[in-house]
Amino acid sequence: MLAASKQIFKPIGRAAYVFHRRWIKGITLSKIFLYLFMIALVVFTAAPIIFVASTAFKPLDELFLYPPRFFVMKPTFKNFGDLLIATDSSLVPFTRYLFNSVFTTVAIVLFSVIVTSMGAFIISKYKLPGMAFIFAVVISALMFPAQVTSIPTYFVISNLAILNTYWALILPKLAVPYNLFLVKQFMDQIPDQTLEAAKVDGANEWTMFWKIVMPYVKPAWMTVVIFSFIGNWNDFSSPLIYTTSEAMKTLPLAMLGVSNGTVGRMGAAAAGAFVTVMPSIVLFIILQRQVMDTMAHSGIKS
Amino acid sequence: MKIGLERRKVISGYVFILPWMLGFLAFLVYPLVMSFYMSLRKMTSVSGMQMEYIGWDNFSRAVLKDVNFIPLFYAAIRNAFVEIPLILVFSFFMAMLLNHQVIGRAFFRAVFFLPVVIGSGFVMEQLLGQGVGSLQTLATDPSVVSAGVTNGLQIPDVIARYLSPEMYGNLSDILGRLTLVFWKTGIQILLFLAGLQGISESLYESAKCDGATPWEMFWKITFPLMTPVLLLNAVFTLVDSFTDIRNQVILYIKQVAFTNIEMGYASALGWIYFVFVFILIVLIFAFTRKRVVYMGM
Repeated sequence: MLAASKQIFKPIGRAAYVFHRRWIKGITLSKIFLYLFMIALVVFTAAPIIFVASTAFKPLDELFLYPPRFFVMKPTFKNFGDLLIATDSSLVPFTRYLFNSVFTTVAIVLFSVIVTSMGAFIISKYKLPGMAFIFAVVISALMFPAQVTSIPTYFVISNLAILNTYWALILPKLAVPYNLFLVKQFMDQIPDQTLEAAKVDGANEWTMFWKIVMPYVKPAWMTVVIFSFIGNWNDFSSPLIYTTSEAMKTLPLAMLGVSNGTVGRMGAAAAGAFVTVMPSIVLFIILQRQVMDTMAHSGIKS
Repeated sequence: MKIGLERRKVISGYVFILPWMLGFLAFLVYPLVMSFYMSLRKMTSVSGMQMEYIGWDNFSRAVLKDVNFIPLFYAAIRNAFVEIPLILVFSFFMAMLLNHQVIGRAFFRAVFFLPVVIGSGFVMEQLLGQGVGSLQTLATDPSVVSAGVTNGLQIPDVIARYLSPEMYGNLSDILGRLTLVFWKTGIQILLFLAGLQGISESLYESAKCDGATPWEMFWKITFPLMTPVLLLNAVFTLVDSFTDIRNQVILYIKQVAFTNIEMGYASALGWIYFVFVFILIVLIFAFTRKRVVYMGM
């Protein structure tokens, strides 16, 4: 009996002791203030996101409440139905916008990761003639606002005769200087001996790239994945410039059309924003750790 | 054999970098060169893309004749100079807090980074404006955006009743600006945090043995060692603020290019803007060179 009770109570006592040491003992007044302060700041940053979510579920009378209320009182799914109807009237079904967005974003993310990593691999590990100059050009290109070049880019696309196609939405987004910089910083940390050893074992560049380099810099290209996903998922200016037909519109551009419409579409617009914003947040939550680590490393190295 | 291997390495190297270079040249370098070419010209026929050489006329027009450009430019600069110090101080402060042994540090880090994830989307802003107007009003009036953000965080009625109207206005303006600043600090906090973690603990311990107070330790150890990161962050914030899609000047350039269809003039405006930012960054580097402390970095 005694042995049995010891079996039970000893772990409990130990857990209580650990709990006390880890959580209770360190609590001081200043720490409580610190936490309260940080939580207040979190509320500040998170407020707009919560606002988006709660607005999407607001019924019509609450949408036009003045002063506007932060939280939804009687949540409803009606806005999402309205969204489908609002876009239905514009000749092209809602799913087409969704498909356009998903297709172009996935293509951009996939190809830009491969193209960027291959370029970064050569700049980082092959001391070929001209590479230092190329990298200098890439660094100064970081500073250019994209809007300055948007006009000539239009002419490049129109001369390639790919206006109004998926190519026009995908090709210009593949070579982004910032992504190359990020991946290159990470590849610099791969020891040269590893690559030498692989070469001695008879690996060619292609296998070396896929079997050694890519697994090594996984956090870096994960970050490229999330940045290019967010950038292109939310981007409505390039479909606006490079495409003209309704069938080529992406989700954000279509949402812009919905919210520019009449007052009755307010609910649909809110639901549309919710639908547009959510994928980025979900992806970020999934890939969060990699992004944080990469940002921290790349910053210090530069 | 040796030469053959070397040559193979060079060839495969160029093959690897080729796709990236093609994209870079076609969609970045060529447009840049082209925009400079266009900035010296005036479009005579939109449909036939006829251009006529007019020298530096576009540039002098921007500075001397255009009634919109200089005020907008000035406003953008003033806005940047108000916001950049706010962002830097706030993110430095947050990084110091997060550098403590805080429970749930990863959570706080993620929350402060979250705005970077969504903030880049224009849709988000549009929603924050709560359909107050079309894209145009949103774009030209940032106060609409901040009003939307702070709608949920209004000053409570109980307090508002005792405030004069001016004070109420000022207070909500500050609230609005603060939220915008919080929204722009995600990357800066991370960079500062990485820098803080690179400072060796032994420095603080020996300072403590010599009787230094936390205040002294901050100014004598933390701050000097953080100056390289501070410089990096300053440059990053500057570039970010000037190339931001919400920036007034950028919006004006866009309007000139696509609404007025004056491609040559828009290119000239873009180049003036870029050269200004570039000079600013060079100046920052020149002024801080003596003051930045590098130690084993």
